Amino acid sequence: MLFFRSEEHVDRWCRQWNLPKGALLSLDQGWRLAQAWYGPDRREPDWRRKTVDEAEALFAELGLTSHFWSLRANTTG
Amino acid sequence: MDQTSQELDRHVRKFVYDQAMQRGSLPSLAETSTALSISLADVQSAFQRLAVRHILVLQPENGEILMANPFSAVPTPFLVELEAFSCFGNCIWDSLGIAALLERDVRIKTACGDCGTALELSVVDGRVQGDLGIIHFALPALRWWEDIVFN
Repeated sequence: MLFFRSEEHVDRWCRQWNLPKGALLSLDQGWRLAQAWYGPDRREPDWRRKTVDEAEALFAELGLTSHFWSLRANTTG
Repeated sequence: MDQTSQELDRHVRKFVYDQAMQRGSLPSLAETSTALSISLADVQSAFQRLAVRHILVLQPENGEILMANPFSAVPTPFLVELEAFSCFGNCIWDSLGIAALLERDVRIKTACGDCGTALELSVVDGRVQGDLGIIHFALPALRWWEDIVFN
C-alpha cells in the first residue's frame, strides 16, 4: 500500500504500471484501519490472526464493504 | 502440528515481536537461537511454520525474516521514527500500524509512490497529521497474500 500526493498521482501510477486502480483511503481512514488491524493485542504472546469473519467485520465497521474488501473467493458484486 | 511445536512457535513469535517493539529491528535466526537456547534448525522450522501461517514473511534465499507485520527487516520507503528508535514499515498502512501497535507518537517519512516527492506524516497523541495525500490499496483484500511483498 503506497501513499500518493493525490488521486491524480494514483491514476498516473496505475497507467504507468498497467495496473487496475484499487481502493483509495484517506489518511484518517488509513489510520483508523491501522488502529483496528494492529491493535495492542498483537503484542500478546497468545495473539492469533483474525478469522475471515472478524476481518470482514472490522472492514465493515470502517465502511469498507465493497467487493474489494471481501475475503471470500466465491462472492460476487 | 504437535503441542511442542505450537509452544515453540509461540515463544519464537513472542521473541521476534518483543525485539521489534524494543529496538525496531527484527532478530536473525542465529540471534533467536542464542537468545532462546534453541537449536538453529528448530528456529528455522519455527520461522517456516510461522510463515505458513502468515505470521512472518521470510527471505526466500536464506530463511531470515523479511517481515513481521507491521515491521520490515529491510529498509523500505517507509521510515518510521519514534523517540526511542527508528524502523521501517512494509507499506503506509504498516507504518501507521507501528504507531498503533506501540501506542507511541511517530513520524513517517515516505514519498509519493508516483512522483517521488518527499512526504511526511506524524501520529501525535493518537491523531494523524501531516502532508495531504491518499492511500492506495492496489490488490483486493482476498489477494493480499498472493504477493505480500508487492502488496
